[in-house]
Amino acid sequence: MTDDKNNCCETNAQDTCCSGEGVKTLILACSGGSNVGQISNQIMIELDRSGIGNAYCLAGIGAAMSGFIESAKAARTILIDGCPVACGRKVFEKYGIEPSDYFIVTELGIKKTHDFSKLKEETDKALNALKTKI
Amino acid sequence: MKIQILGTGCPKCIKLTENAEKAARELGVDFEIEKITDINKIMDLGVMMTPGIAIDGEVKSVGKVLSPEEIKKIISK
Repeated sequence: MTDDKNNCCETNAQDTCCSGEGVKTLILACSGGSNVGQISNQIMIELDRSGIGNAYCLAGIGAAMSGFIESAKAARTILIDGCPVACGRKVFEKYGIEPSDYFIVTELGIKKTHDFSKLKEETDKALNALKTKI
Repeated sequence: MKIQILGTGCPKCIKLTENAEKAARELGVDFEIEKITDINKIMDLGVMMTPGIAIDGEVKSVGKVLSPEEIKKIISK
């Protein structure tokens, strides 16, 4: 085993580099400018913390950065939009990416507002609803 | 043509490098191979699964060892 190989197995690339054909789960959120947009972002973080997947950059795909687009195409993806305007879904469609799982926060029992004072309790409610669907 | 192999040096990355060299040689194109092994640089490109391959700075594939024939197709595009 070479030094390079040792390095490989100690990195984040481990899952899909040295240990077989595993596919990463990437989690993306619209992170938009409303309560439900910010809740989508918080859900992404909580799912990452739970070990369900890795938080990932929807903006990188929107910016047409090839590494982000190809990674999203190769991975299992969980996409979370805040509302039915579905900006995240439209970014995916623009680059021919189909999410493995797709959620809209307003369909998880949260009304879209610009009130950011209840994000914690609204996030908890949406997250509980989402976990029954994953 | 610049061919970048994105990977930290595991056997799959080495195989992808060999396949890329074979594809470029068989197509008769001028090329140079750059191996990007720094995981932080790889992730800066948005690449979350290795090995990956980029042609002239554009990532074409991640998480797969492309065959020489598959690499010929992406080089020829």
